[in-house]
Amino acid sequence: MELGRLEYLQALVTEFQVTDSTGNKRRCSLALSLSSVSSHTRLFFLAEAKEQVLANLANFAYDPSNYEYLRQLQVLDLFLDMLTEDNETLVEFAMGGLCNLCLDKTNKEYILEASGVEPIINCLSSSNEETVVSAVTTLMFLTTPRSRAQTTGLPVVECMLRFSLSANTRLSNLASIFLQDYCSPPQVEEARNLSRHTAVGIPLPKD
Amino acid sequence: QVYTINLESRYLLIQGVPALGVMKELVEQFALYGAIEEYHALDEYPAEEFTEVYLIKFKKLQCARVAKKKMDERSFFGNLLHVCYAPEFETVQETREKLQDRRKYIAKATNQRGCFVLKKVEGPKKTASKNSEHDCPWSTAESQVASNWDPSCFTSSPGVSHNTVYPSGNQNQSLLTSPHYDNNCAEISGYFGQNTSLTPSVHPGGHTPPASLMQQRMVPVSNGIDRFMPRTTHLQERKRKREEGNKFSLIGASEDYTEVVIGPQLPEIPKVDMDDESLNTSATLIRNKLKEVADSVSTTSVEKPESSSAKPIVKQRRRI
Repeated sequence: MELGRLEYLQALVTEFQVTDSTGNKRRCSLALSLSSVSSHTRLFFLAEAKEQVLANLANFAYDPSNYEYLRQLQVLDLFLDMLTEDNETLVEFAMGGLCNLCLDKTNKEYILEASGVEPIINCLSSSNEETVVSAVTTLMFLTTPRSRAQTTGLPVVECMLRFSLSANTRLSNLASIFLQDYCSPPQVEEARNLSRHTAVGIPLPKD
Repeated sequence: QVYTINLESRYLLIQGVPALGVMKELVEQFALYGAIEEYHALDEYPAEEFTEVYLIKFKKLQCARVAKKKMDERSFFGNLLHVCYAPEFETVQETREKLQDRRKYIAKATNQRGCFVLKKVEGPKKTASKNSEHDCPWSTAESQVASNWDPSCFTSSPGVSHNTVYPSGNQNQSLLTSPHYDNNCAEISGYFGQNTSLTPSVHPGGHTPPASLMQQRMVPVSNGIDRFMPRTTHLQERKRKREEGNKFSLIGASEDYTEVVIGPQLPEIPKVDMDDESLNTSATLIRNKLKEVADSVSTTSVEKPESSSAKPIVKQRRRI
C-alpha cells in the first residue's frame, strides 16, 4: 500500500477533477452507464462521488506524512475552492481537511498567501456544526503575528463571543479558548461593547 | 466522515453495553488499550432496551483512538458495542490541551519546532542517534521564488532535538512511499518540499501505519549544501545510488521530465521519479492534466479576479 500511496492520492484528485467536469466522466469509480441513467440521478451520483473523494482527501490531511503529496497535488487549493460550494457537505469536508493540515508551517503559509482566511471566516456562519467547529479551530491554528489582524478581527471576536455562550459544549469550549488564548483583553472588550449596540458582524449560524 | 482534532477526544462513549452488570469487565477490556482516568455509566443517556451507556475517559488521546478503533462494532457479552468519541464532555482546559498536543505533534512530525532557516548542514551530525541537527528547506510555499527566503518568518533554533532521523545533505528518499525528487528539482523555482519524518516510538497508534517509517525529504541542491553523506541504511544507500545513476544516465522515459512548467504565476511542477514505470506514467498523466488546466486558467485570467489582483508572485489559485 505504501508504494501506491502517491498513486492513490493522484487518482483521487484526478477522480475529483473528472467528476467535476460537465458530467462527461471518462473515468468513473461507480459503474454508471450514462445512457440508462437519468441526468438527475447521474448528477446525484456525481455529487456523492465528489463527497466521498473529498472526505478521503480530508482524512489523508490528518497525517503529516501525506502533506508533501497533498501539496504537490494542490489539494490545498481544492479545499479552499470547495469552501464556496453550495453543497454543505463539501464545505464541511473541505473545512475539516483544512483544519487537519493547517498546523504545518508550509501549509499555513500557503493558505495565508492564497487569501484563505476570508472564506474560512465565512464558514463561521454555516449552519453545519462541524463546519463551524473546524473553522474556529482553523482560525486559531492560522493565527500568526502577521495574520492575527485578520484572524482576530473585530467581527471574528464578536462571533466568538456569541459562540462562547452556546449550549454546544464543543463550540463554546473552542470559542472560549479562542478568546482567552488568541485575543487580547482589549480586543474582547471592544467586541463586547460593540455587540451591545449593533448587530454588525458575522451572522449567527442558522440553527 | 472526516476526522478532525475536534472530533477526537480522550472521552469515549460506549453504547450497547448489555445491562448485565458488566461494568468491570467492560472497563477491563478497554484498559487493554491504555490507562483509564475515569469511567462511569451515563444513566440519563438514551439507550436501547436492556442496554447501558458508559463514558470512559482515557489518559491519552492516542489510547482512546486505538480503543475506539478496536472496540467499535465489537461483540461484548452478546451485544454489539458502539464506540464513539465524546468531545462534548471535555472541559475548556482539556480541549485546550488537546489542541496544544496536536500542535506539538505536527511540529515534531514536520520538524518545525520554532521556525527554521535553511542553513548549511553542519558537518556530520549523525543520524544513528536520533538527534541530528537538521535543516529544513523552507520557503513559504510555492508562491515564492527559490532564492527568496522569507527571513522575517524564521528564527533559527539550534539544538533542538527530536526523535526523528534526519539525513542532511543530499536528497534521500523514503523507503516506502515518498516520491523521489531528483536533484534537478532544486533548480525549479519555488517548489520546496518539507521534511516529514515520523518514528513509531514517538507517535504510537493513530492514523499512521507503516508510514511511520517514512522519511521524506527534498533538499534543493542549488543552495550549496555539500555532498555530505550521512550514515544511512543500506537500502537508502542503494536507492540513492540508483537515483544518482539515473540522474546522469537518463535511462528510460521515466527520466525524461524535461517539460518544466515555468510560468509567472504558477509554481513549477517538480520532476518526480517514482522509480517505477507505471507510477511515472500516472504521474505524467496527472501532471499533464494539471498543466492543461493550469494553462487554460492562466489564459482566461478574468475567471480569477481575486488572485490576479493580488501580489503577482502569489500563485494563482487554481479553480477546480
